[in-house]
Amino acid sequence: MRLNRLDLIRYGRFQDAEIVFPKPASGAPDVTVIFGPNEAGKSTAFHGFLELLFGFRSGTHPYAFRFERSDLLVGADLDLPGRGSLVLRRNSKRTQSLLDADDRPVNDAVVAGALHGLSREAYEERFSLNEAGLREGGKRIAAAQGDLGQLLHAGLSGLTGMAETLDALSDRADKFHKKRARGTVVKLGNDRLKEIGRTLRDGRLTDERERSLRRDRDRADAEFETADSALRQSKQRQAAGQAAQVWYERTQEMTQLEGALTSFPEGPDLDPGAAARVAGLVEKIAAQTARIKDAETEIAKQGQVVAENAVDELAQSLSSELDRLDQMTIDDAPLMSRATTARTDLARRSEARDALARQIDTVLAKLGISDVLVSAIALTPAALEEIDSAIQTCLQDDLSAKAAQDAVIVAQDQLGDAPDAPQDLSALRAAFEAWKLVENITSLQVEHDTAAARLVKAKASLPGTWHALIDAGLPARETLDDVAREWSSLIAELASARTDASARAVDLQSAQADLATLEAAPDAVDIAMTEKTRRQRDMAWQHHRNDLSAATAADFEAAMFDDDGTRAHYLTGAEMRQRLLATQGQVRTAAARAQTANDHLNMLVADQDRLTARCSALAGALGLDPGTSPSAFGARQQALSHAGEAAADLANAQDALKARLAHQQAARDVLQDAADTVGLNGPAGNLAARVQQVLTLEDTARQSWGKWQDGQKTLDRLKRASEDCRAASDAAAGKLGQLTAALPLGDRTLKGLALALPSLRSLQQLTKDYRDISDRVAALEQAIATLSDASARLARIMDIAEDEAAGDPIVIIDQTRARLTASGRADEKRNEAESGRDAANRAKGIAEDTCRDGVDDLARCFEGQGAADLAPQDRVAKLVARDGLRGEHGAADRARLRAREGVDAALFGEELGRLPDAVRAGDLEQALSDAQDARDAARDAQRDSARIYREAYEAADLSDLATEQATLLEELRSGARQAAVARLGVLAARGALRRLAQERRSEMLRDVENAFVTMTAPAWTGVDVWSHAEGDKLVGIQPGGNTVPIEHMSTGTMGQLYFALRLAGYRSFSRDPGPLPMILDDIMETFDDTRAGAALQLCAQIGENGQAILFTHHAHLVALAQEILPDVNIVQMPSR
Amino acid sequence: MRLLVSADIHLGSPIRSVALRNPDLGEKLKRASRDTFARVVDLAIAERVDALVLAGDIFDSHFPDLKTRAFLIAQLSRASQAGVPTVLIRGNHDALLDHRGHGDLGPNIHLLHKGAPTVEIGPAVFHGLSFDTAHVEKSFLPDYPLPAPGKRNVGLMHTSLDGAPGHDPYAPCAERDLMAHGYDLWCLGHIHAPFERTDGPVLAIMPGIPQPRHFGERKGGSVVIVSLGEGPVGFERRTVATLGFSECTVDLRATSDQQDILRSLRAALGAAHVPGRDMAVRLHVISDQLGTETITAYASEALEGIEGVFLDKVKAAPPPRDPSAKDDDLVRLMQAELGEDGFRHAALQQLEELRLVLPPEIRDALDETELEGLLADAIAEVSLTIHGGAAP
Repeated sequence: MRLNRLDLIRYGRFQDAEIVFPKPASGAPDVTVIFGPNEAGKSTAFHGFLELLFGFRSGTHPYAFRFERSDLLVGADLDLPGRGSLVLRRNSKRTQSLLDADDRPVNDAVVAGALHGLSREAYEERFSLNEAGLREGGKRIAAAQGDLGQLLHAGLSGLTGMAETLDALSDRADKFHKKRARGTVVKLGNDRLKEIGRTLRDGRLTDERERSLRRDRDRADAEFETADSALRQSKQRQAAGQAAQVWYERTQEMTQLEGALTSFPEGPDLDPGAAARVAGLVEKIAAQTARIKDAETEIAKQGQVVAENAVDELAQSLSSELDRLDQMTIDDAPLMSRATTARTDLARRSEARDALARQIDTVLAKLGISDVLVSAIALTPAALEEIDSAIQTCLQDDLSAKAAQDAVIVAQDQLGDAPDAPQDLSALRAAFEAWKLVENITSLQVEHDTAAARLVKAKASLPGTWHALIDAGLPARETLDDVAREWSSLIAELASARTDASARAVDLQSAQADLATLEAAPDAVDIAMTEKTRRQRDMAWQHHRNDLSAATAADFEAAMFDDDGTRAHYLTGAEMRQRLLATQGQVRTAAARAQTANDHLNMLVADQDRLTARCSALAGALGLDPGTSPSAFGARQQALSHAGEAAADLANAQDALKARLAHQQAARDVLQDAADTVGLNGPAGNLAARVQQVLTLEDTARQSWGKWQDGQKTLDRLKRASEDCRAASDAAAGKLGQLTAALPLGDRTLKGLALALPSLRSLQQLTKDYRDISDRVAALEQAIATLSDASARLARIMDIAEDEAAGDPIVIIDQTRARLTASGRADEKRNEAESGRDAANRAKGIAEDTCRDGVDDLARCFEGQGAADLAPQDRVAKLVARDGLRGEHGAADRARLRAREGVDAALFGEELGRLPDAVRAGDLEQALSDAQDARDAARDAQRDSARIYREAYEAADLSDLATEQATLLEELRSGARQAAVARLGVLAARGALRRLAQERRSEMLRDVENAFVTMTAPAWTGVDVWSHAEGDKLVGIQPGGNTVPIEHMSTGTMGQLYFALRLAGYRSFSRDPGPLPMILDDIMETFDDTRAGAALQLCAQIGENGQAILFTHHAHLVALAQEILPDVNIVQMPSR
Repeated sequence: MRLLVSADIHLGSPIRSVALRNPDLGEKLKRASRDTFARVVDLAIAERVDALVLAGDIFDSHFPDLKTRAFLIAQLSRASQAGVPTVLIRGNHDALLDHRGHGDLGPNIHLLHKGAPTVEIGPAVFHGLSFDTAHVEKSFLPDYPLPAPGKRNVGLMHTSLDGAPGHDPYAPCAERDLMAHGYDLWCLGHIHAPFERTDGPVLAIMPGIPQPRHFGERKGGSVVIVSLGEGPVGFERRTVATLGFSECTVDLRATSDQQDILRSLRAALGAAHVPGRDMAVRLHVISDQLGTETITAYASEALEGIEGVFLDKVKAAPPPRDPSAKDDDLVRLMQAELGEDGFRHAALQQLEELRLVLPPEIRDALDETELEGLLADAIAEVSLTIHGGAAP
């Protein structure tokens, strides 16, 4: 493949740009240097070239910034092996994106074949190199440690990371598992799985575990029953022992009590509480005697108090009079408080009333009014507000009337005289507008011409029957695409199937040949053959033994040799037989595969026949020859569709143009009639211009007439407003006159009224205040008079002398109140004393009765008892002591009977027989304690076993552990496969690299050495290969024969070695399968001129049987290239 | 009459997927088989079916925990108290259902076996035989009772039928013999992928595993509600599984931009979303640049924001190569290497070394029969890794 021209039609910043790669002169290397500054678009051009070859990538496009992705388009002129020069274009569509110069779809296989099946990535890796890649490649091949296979692979493929890849895969596998390593995934996983397994085993409630737990539980239940029974028996024994002890001790106690009772008097037992009752009665009799004496003293004392507090005879009359006085009120206030206030307030209120009278006189004088009642001119506040409002209205209306009058005068001055009225040209204007709508036919004419041109172009490549084909109906585009895809796929599949069938046949032949070879080999002896030769030997021996002749001897000898030889072959042919079996299997497999491949091929041929018939039918429908490739159907269908659309568009355009011309003539006629109507005469040719002129003049006159009419309307409106203002002013003055008619004022003008208004407001307020204070003075005087009358009546009741009673009434009233207070206190004391005396008399009677009852009760307490000579309290103490002894005796008897209740009689008898015994109770208690402990222990064991059994069912769910176990196993399974894949990958890759080194070393090493020496002379003189146990190593040779491992070379030298490897790889590919353009992007940027010159020489070597394209932005490299390579093509990057 | 038919519950058997490393999903699914069975009982109660039919393998013999039996009894008692009786048989994993060793399951829970092969519920008679040992190599069918005249006859059988792929022959039974036995309905168990067979009015139904435990059981996840009226037997499947498995394939050959890769993965994984159900997805990616580890990282990022979808496994593979293409000597030479006896011997040694350190349960992952597939993956992995990490 050779790139002749790259077309950047719409791509990145480029539009309709092209880069031409001229073909070299005969014998000259094919080297093109593309020169352009940084950012000139070299990378854009390279990507454009890649997308032309391999199609656009999906998703966001990095070069779709000037044009939309859907509009991107690149093209190229390419020399393709077997096809010659071909102009191609590539758009961004998903399908059929590769087009020829006429925009017809081109099968991608055309380009893919020329690229020898390389993918885009593989092409980029193998046939492009930039400065960074060169530098990085040099560093990375150091990791190969000189491994020849890796280095040659790097040179061939452009992929330098083989060493890292193999290390990464090994690391990945080692992380999963490595012998004797700790912390590997599988080690940690196995540990965890064991841990989980143990927990699951222990925690899982299996049948066996459940049975074991159940047995434990049942055994604990039985043991508890036994211990509980023993405890019950021990308790009974202890109860019997305790009862016997009680019985024994109480019997002893009863004997002692009976002896003591003989020294006490006879008689029945006292009632319960008799001692306390006797003591209470004695105390009660003494207390009642003391009460009788106290009552008599109290009676005498109260009689004295009654005598000292006698009754006041006048108190009732005085009290009635005072009540009446207290109930009297003035202005809803009590008379007493009102009169007291009046006596201090009256003089001050009278003085204030007189001062108001003087102020009223002053205001009247200010208004110039005299001899008029104040009430006649003291207006209400509402009347004053009404007058004030009327005055303000009059003032505002006067101002409005004057302003309106001034506006009328100004408007009259501005209006001026009326202009002439305009002429009515509405019919002429309507006709003119209608004509203008149809006047222009240019756009319709252009549409018509365009449609005609499109039709000519559309049908140019079509047969004469194109219209008939369209009328007959075209096949659907989807159908054609499907057929084309199916055809393309079928052809590719057929080719593949034929190749496969051939390969299978070859495989079969090869396997059969192998089998024949093996079968013919002397070692291919099976056990049946050995048995056969042994039988022949035995038979020969039998014959010889029977005959013992020379002939039988010879036969036997021959049979013996034959048998020995067969057996020897059999013994040494074990491996051969294995290979024979394997090869037989391979023959069977190869035969089956060959049959399958042939069946598949036959099926595809049948499919091809069917599809060919269908294609012929479709070709006919499209006007194509029956043998036309389906890939052309789409383009023909599209061309026919375009022609049909163009014909329809032309017919539509013709109809539209004709209709427009008819409308234009009709409108012109109507316009002429309208012009004639308004008397517009003149030559017919310039009718439209004349009409336009007349209509413009009419528009100007109409505007002037409208303005004057608007001014006249404004003047009329102002006049009406002036008249309205004057009328309102007169109405307001009339209303004010009515409101003030009754006032005796001297100045009744609008100004005089406005000045008098404040004085009228002041007079209104003063008059009101004067009336209020006069009413207050009268009320105070009435209160004082009423109080004096009441005081006089009280003085008469108390018989106070007249001169003394004429004094201050308040003093008389206070004396009355003091006398009534004293009388009330005496009444209270007297009543209290009389009550006390009555109570003392009642208490004395009750105490005498109670004392008699106590004496009787005391006698009844001692009825039937002896020791009557003792005082009541001593006597009862003696009897109580006697009854106490009797009680202790009875209690002891009851206690011993109670102790026997519920006790086993036999055990009781046994224990009573042992008494007295000082240690028996202790022994029994210890025995009980032991039984209790045993029972408690059994009970705890029973509970524990029941709990364990229950908890086994209720134990924490193990699902999480089971889940973790399953997940871990899945992870290990997946990890094991990945580790195996990594290990096997490394194994296969290392083997492949060894093969690569064997295959390519002879052809590539020469190129590598040539390029390396060219680049590095005189520092290096060659390269060599050292053989090691781990494989072949490439080393460099310095002058003097000193060899240097790759990893010991400098960074620059390694970069140059990498370039040499890439060059050798390119030459290898160019030899087989063929050359492709090599893109070198400024790889000499860091080279000095000597190295750059050497690199250019190597570029020339690329160009000897391929195409080298060198991008650079260094002018000195361009000059150097022209110096080193006189026939080099220098091309400037195009502008955008 | 309506029946809810299920089988192969495998109570206690955990989900086997790396997706459960996700803490949210792991926590949710650690009792998946039990939770799903509780949902089956819920469904039976909600649908007011006339009986719940369980055709064996209620338990999993790898997880013999009597607590699971207690759980089963609690659930079936719940159904019984709601008026739904249960009819069940023992499968080859059901030692815990042995009535002789563990006693009855409770009222209205009918375990059918050789001593009591029939129970009548309403208009239907249920017939069934149970596994007494883990392996039965002869057909049970001749021992099944004859159909009861005038009744609808329902058979329960745990069988691999004529031998299903992936299942050993358990109580094998010819399908035509089964359909000709005279029953109206056969409720089958043992095969975890659901299917049904009809022969005239007779229906045989395999409900499948209600909760798939791994990717291989992704067709399961449902139970069957059968309508047993006068006419033909009708049925419908109802999904009950908490977690489903699915797979999707994404072709990233024409995609190089990171955002485009994420977008493609997000679209593919998002399409696996099923409302109300978690999904573990096995992702296959076709790429000539990206290895499994890189794809896994991308896929994990793409899953952020997609509810209910988790990664079961990721596999990256390069596109099939054009045999005539000259673009990869390495692949060609590696394939040539595979045919060498010495190489195969070394490869088997590597495999054996790894196999022996694995737990016995998963050693089959590296059996000799896996070698071809592993070698194909190995060549793809080397190619992807070196292309993905190639120098610019």
